[in-house]
Amino acid sequence: MRGFRVFLGKEFQEIFRTWRIFILPSIMVAVGLLSPVLAKIMPDIIGSAASAQPGVVIELPAPTTMDAYLTFSKNLFQIVTIAVVIAMAGSIVGERKNGTAILMLTKPLSREGFVLAKVLSNWALLLGSTVVGGVACWAVTQAFFANEFVDRFVAMTALWVLLAALFVAAVAFFSVVLKSQSGAAGAGLGLFLAMTILSGWAPARDFSPAGLVSLGNRLLTGQEAAVLWPVVTAAAVAIACVAATAALFKRQEI
Amino acid sequence: MTAAIEIKGLTKKYGDTVSLDGIDLTVQEGSIFGFLGPNGAGKTTTLRILTGLARPTSGTAKVFGYDVTKGTNEVRSMMGFLPDVPGYYEWMTADEYLRLAGKLFGVRGDTLESRVQSLLELSGLDKTTTKVGGYSRGMRQRLGVAQALISAPRVLFLDEPTSALDPIGRKDVLDMITALKGKATVFFSTHILTDIERVCDTVAILDAGRVVEQATIAELKAKRGTRRIVVEVESGAAVLAADLAAEQWAGDCSREGSTIRCMVGDLVAARRRVPQLIADHGLALVRMNDEEPTLEDVFVGLVGGVV
Repeated sequence: MRGFRVFLGKEFQEIFRTWRIFILPSIMVAVGLLSPVLAKIMPDIIGSAASAQPGVVIELPAPTTMDAYLTFSKNLFQIVTIAVVIAMAGSIVGERKNGTAILMLTKPLSREGFVLAKVLSNWALLLGSTVVGGVACWAVTQAFFANEFVDRFVAMTALWVLLAALFVAAVAFFSVVLKSQSGAAGAGLGLFLAMTILSGWAPARDFSPAGLVSLGNRLLTGQEAAVLWPVVTAAAVAIACVAATAALFKRQEI
Repeated sequence: MTAAIEIKGLTKKYGDTVSLDGIDLTVQEGSIFGFLGPNGAGKTTTLRILTGLARPTSGTAKVFGYDVTKGTNEVRSMMGFLPDVPGYYEWMTADEYLRLAGKLFGVRGDTLESRVQSLLELSGLDKTTTKVGGYSRGMRQRLGVAQALISAPRVLFLDEPTSALDPIGRKDVLDMITALKGKATVFFSTHILTDIERVCDTVAILDAGRVVEQATIAELKAKRGTRRIVVEVESGAAVLAADLAAEQWAGDCSREGSTIRCMVGDLVAARRRVPQLIADHGLALVRMNDEEPTLEDVFVGLVGGVV
């Protein structure tokens, strides 16, 4: 894959020198910082809302570390996943639309190298953003609550990274198939919805990537969670998506 | 001389639309080859196939013996390409873009730095520090030529490199192309006839997906061009123009004030007859001369339309 390393270097430069460095990391840091804060103040918010109603008394238990991590988990698996799908949908198709791909692909840069550099740099951005957001969440949680369940928190976050990585690969594939950023984002969101629905069905939850959508919270709360098949199948589907994207992109006219 | 580019029976169809209809072309190494045709003739499609961006429906296209449809790095390693509207990473500066392009070709170290500097100077962008996103159309085209040259390519494909440029920008780009004569093979697509006449030694005329002629410019004019006679009289040009148009050797005649231009089939007969007609009408001759056919005459004759 001649040109791959050079083009990957350009991708990393682009992340640090354009808006890309702000979008996903900002969302992750915001979610990381606000999730424990929200868990901390939620009983007060509900209590003050209830006290405005005469005769209504709501007793809520004191928030815990687990509440903070569960809030983070809920935000990761919903808001941030949708943000990842939308933010990454234009990665390949954007270069086609802007005409930048033409100048790159008429040089000794293989189409496979082009696709792989795109996906790998997006995966790296995803991982870096998650680490920053996760550390932010952990730090604020320590400030408000007890230092516990860190291993479960890390396992849940790792599971989400795999799910998000799958979506990065899937939207790359959709963008090559549909040749449209909005189309790729729409297809990615459709996939997210389908996986969310399927995660409620035991066979899909236990033996397909759909399981990743619901297993995070089970890991976090210490419930029994059979993660092997969802992890293996998600990794396999992500790799298959990248391979299919490269193969399809190689056959297409630019 | 060896052939740098060989195209045989190249056809490209988009559904029912035939964009290229079995074209044959040979471009000799070291030549500046003009690929001329009206808008929609198939010039960009040909270039897209030659650069591996599109695949032909049938036929072959080879660059230095390599089949371009295979999309191999061998072909891309020896070519430079400037599309009609080049797209750049707007956050980069010109020198950064040239370094990226050079590294993709495997150019490194001092060689890369010296090429970047010389190309920045050649393109007049050496003193520009702004990012590419802030460039004018002319600056983008000049950067486009520079990035196409970063690998010192054996063959350079340029798609309408001067369209939409102001006269100075156009001159700069044409000067850059002229400087390549003998050093690289340049395949230069355009619909601007004066650009072809200025820089190209060989030309192919494409119309509706077919090559209607391929020759050197001199051969083309000699073979296809019809000479023209120009007569200017002090007065009475309208009567003279009508008489000239009626002559057997005369083709299309036009009059602009007291000047008459007639396409001429038999120049010797025209030179004999025109003075007789002027004398018969008792007109005063200001000047009479014949003109070389222009590429435009040839082009209009072959394509039968407006450029």
